[in-house]
Amino acid sequence: MLVFTRRRGETIMIGDGIEVQVLRVGRDGVRLGVVAPAHVPVHRREIYSQICEANRAAANPSADLAALSRRLQRQP
Amino acid sequence: MMHALATTPVLHPPLRGPVTAGSVQQQHVITFPGGMPGFEACRSFVLMSTDDDTPLHYLKAVDGPDATFLVIDPRHVEPEYKCELTEVDARRLGVTGNSPLVWLALVTVGDGGTVAVNLRAPVVINPALMVGHQVIPHQGTYPIRHVLVQGE
Repeated sequence: MLVFTRRRGETIMIGDGIEVQVLRVGRDGVRLGVVAPAHVPVHRREIYSQICEANRAAANPSADLAALSRRLQRQP
Repeated sequence: MMHALATTPVLHPPLRGPVTAGSVQQQHVITFPGGMPGFEACRSFVLMSTDDDTPLHYLKAVDGPDATFLVIDPRHVEPEYKCELTEVDARRLGVTGNSPLVWLALVTVGDGGTVAVNLRAPVVINPALMVGHQVIPHQGTYPIRHVLVQGE
């Protein structure tokens, strides 16, 4: 892992068109600003992991669809 | 009940047996340029109606590892459902102006029969380009697990 020391307002560049700037340094966290091209998704890692996990749990359901439909239709 | 998904050519007719890229009608194939989180290798999907009279549909990968999802129009769950696309999402979907879009929420059926819907990260399809993308909002108020039917 590359490790840098950066002060408030300083930036690192990653590849072509990605910049990460330190906006604020607090006691509990660091506020970062990210500039990236439109085709590069930027996510908080833990949120992305939660969505991955939710997708895996949703994939290839073995549920009986007819029974499931009946249960859904009983919903108000 | 809402049947907003009838937008041609998004909905593929029901298929029986194993589905492969060769067995689907090409005009119904939806390209997900980045795959889906956890299923990044799946780039081509079809959206299929189910035989039953149900608000559920199948979103099925036709390449990559096996991946079939039950999906539902989130407005069926939350009539006032609203999720905004960021500029990055809109570009990824090739959205221009007021392109009509198809919104879908993934449904999870748990072991105990609990049915939960992911309202946080909807799948959005642009039928004009047949491009899809799972949106992960940075600021989300909707839950990843909205319980629709409690298990036994």
